Amino acid sequence: MANPAQSAVRGEKTSSPPERRRGFLAKCIAISLGLLAYAAPVAAGLVALLNPWRQKSEAGRVLRMASLDTLPDDGTPQKFPVVMDRVDAWNRFPNEPVGAVFLRRTEGGVQALNIVCPHAGCFVSFDTQQQQFYCPCHGAHFAPDGTRLDANSPSPRDLDTLEVEIRNDSEIWVKYENYRTGIPQKVAEA
Amino acid sequence: MNRLVEWIEHRSGVFGAVKRSMDRAIPSRSRWGGIWPSMIGFTFAVQVITGIAMWMYYSPSAQTAWESVYYLEYQVAGGWLLRALHHYVAQVMVALLGLYVVWMIVVGGYRKPREMVFWAAIVTGLVGLALLLTGDLLSWGQNSFWATQVRVKFLTLVPLLGNDLFKLAAGGPSFGHHTLTRFFALHAGVFSGIFLALLLVQRSLLRRAEDLEVADGDGGVPYWPNQAIRHTAGWVIVVLVTGLLVGRHALIGEPSAVSQRQSMGVGLGAPADPADAYAAARPEWAFLGLYELAHIFPGDAMPVLGVSWKFVPIFVVPGVLVFFFLVVPFIGKGRVGHVFNVVTTAVLLMATVWLSMKTLAADRANIGHQEALAAGAEAADRAVELAQAPAGIPPSGALTLMRTDPKTQGPKLFQQHCASCHNYLDAAGKGIRAEEPSAPNLHGFSSEAWIKGLLDPKQVAGPNYFGNTAFKDDEMVHYVRSTLKELLDDEELKETFPKMVRALAAESERNPGEEADEETVFLFEDFGCTDCHKFHGSGDLGSAPDLTGYGSHAWLTGMIGNPAHERFYGDENDRMPAYAESADKPAENILTAEQIEMLVRWLRGEWHEARGK
Repeated sequence: MANPAQSAVRGEKTSSPPERRRGFLAKCIAISLGLLAYAAPVAAGLVALLNPWRQKSEAGRVLRMASLDTLPDDGTPQKFPVVMDRVDAWNRFPNEPVGAVFLRRTEGGVQALNIVCPHAGCFVSFDTQQQQFYCPCHGAHFAPDGTRLDANSPSPRDLDTLEVEIRNDSEIWVKYENYRTGIPQKVAEA
Repeated sequence: MNRLVEWIEHRSGVFGAVKRSMDRAIPSRSRWGGIWPSMIGFTFAVQVITGIAMWMYYSPSAQTAWESVYYLEYQVAGGWLLRALHHYVAQVMVALLGLYVVWMIVVGGYRKPREMVFWAAIVTGLVGLALLLTGDLLSWGQNSFWATQVRVKFLTLVPLLGNDLFKLAAGGPSFGHHTLTRFFALHAGVFSGIFLALLLVQRSLLRRAEDLEVADGDGGVPYWPNQAIRHTAGWVIVVLVTGLLVGRHALIGEPSAVSQRQSMGVGLGAPADPADAYAAARPEWAFLGLYELAHIFPGDAMPVLGVSWKFVPIFVVPGVLVFFFLVVPFIGKGRVGHVFNVVTTAVLLMATVWLSMKTLAADRANIGHQEALAAGAEAADRAVELAQAPAGIPPSGALTLMRTDPKTQGPKLFQQHCASCHNYLDAAGKGIRAEEPSAPNLHGFSSEAWIKGLLDPKQVAGPNYFGNTAFKDDEMVHYVRSTLKELLDDEELKETFPKMVRALAAESERNPGEEADEETVFLFEDFGCTDCHKFHGSGDLGSAPDLTGYGSHAWLTGMIGNPAHERFYGDENDRMPAYAESADKPAENILTAEQIEMLVRWLRGEWHEARGK
């Protein structure tokens, strides 16, 4: 049991200060080398794992949605699919439906509403009998202009309006955006 | 803080267990010789870390495997390093397993009480090879596909059960989605799980053996911290060796086997094409000895048994080798047996190295193999270039990109269908050379430079134009040599000549916006072109090819489809076949519409090129 290595470890009561210092140094070296060895694989793994934070949403583009004369004069909302190139990791799908908007005539022009309910992200539908939007997931109701109708609405905000531009007197162009659901503020997904 | 530690310690005993493990006595002679299992354990831990991170991106199917690996390698930050680490640490792991077994034999580490430690190491090594083989397929590149398929097809050599075994391994009658899902489950689940279990078994066996040795009067030294330094130093060595392997292309300037563009990582071969065998396919280095050994045996059946001779190197020899290593502890009980073990192992090792070197040397000297490697690297680069193009990878996968790429398919189709008569050679003489050219060189066909050469009296009957053809003394040659020469004595015509050449080149519609007008037609009439050729509203069909849209997409498609059509050579067509004569019965044509499209676009130089090239 007079092995020097052993006394360096166990010898806190018996060994002299220089030996104890050497034991401490050895421990530090062992731990540093171990950490060093694992640094590269752990770092590469973490960087790859966190890669989604570097990725941006493709939305925010201005798209031609419809022609003005397809909208009824009485202001009833009409549903139009949003078609654009969809990127899914390594694949690019040209001209795919990626969502939908409701368009309706207003006194001043055209109003566009995103079909996504701001509460939990379900798609709302328009009930022509009741003249209101209805979300099937948690029963929220919205007026044709998107304002909440329920006394205690599940939705934290009114339906999201989108920027509309009329070009050449008849083409309806919409800046298509999705907004984060569940929060009172209207914040675009990035 | 102390109370929290006590609380945890009281209920789990974890700190005590760690401390006991660290302070455990190990045989005093262990030292550096005892770091092998620790290094192997470290390599496996790295494989688990990098493997799980890659798992987050991998998609095992024939249409997404290569694509998801491409995405990881080129789009995900740190992805290339992850793949490189996983790939090279795997090689280091298998090498360490082999060296560990050899080391144990040399120092007699397989003897009492360590027999079971030795056996565990051998089985771990075999599972390590299985991990290598199943992992190699997953990137679904050309080499990984073909090298793995060849090895799995060896199963069909097994008498009676062969075909069933192959189907079982491949997941179906041929390689496809089900092979990838199966191999992925085997790689990341089954073999990794077995490997981990074996490492744990090996560790407990090793501890038992060490305890026995310490109790046997060795005395022993504590593991912590001096032996721990040796272990962690071993890990760092593993990382350094891996780093050298990853960065060797950049460090010593050796070009990557896969591609120049991909010199830092492990690279990614072109996407697997089950219809286009990769001629340079080779197994990983650990299998090269058996690969060469298999060459020594013929493929025909052994007498009486009716089984192929190849069964011997592929199943019998490895089986005998494994059996030998399993009985090494029994042979080596005495001194003579131990010497026999060491000598046999040394001979086997040298034979393996010699066979592997032989294969490598043969491949280096084999021009066909080198060309196949270069073609593979070029295809790999091209696949990445196309995947990075704005159009991206279609849902049908990257193979579609390669199959609809004029730059990839054009030369292959030209070689097969056109190069018996046509050359395709640039000014430096590089390109595709016909064995016996009997038709014009099509490099740059219908471009301004090509037309200038055609109308040059010195060149028109040269090898690039009519020199090798049946028309070398025909009207066009006479026209260029005498009529056109005389016409060019006229100052005014000499001045408009380049304009005419440009106008004809513009007919190919390479640069949109340059359309022929009435004045252009007059120009062609001035030079007498329309005496034989039709050009827009002037001249007639039937005596010479139509110059309207000369070299355009539609013109070339029609010409390849049927050169004997009155719009082209008509009855005077010499020997060029009609590659798509019948429009209504596509099955009867030599080339499909898609193939002609590839050829036409390649001849016109219409393909995607990455910017900055």
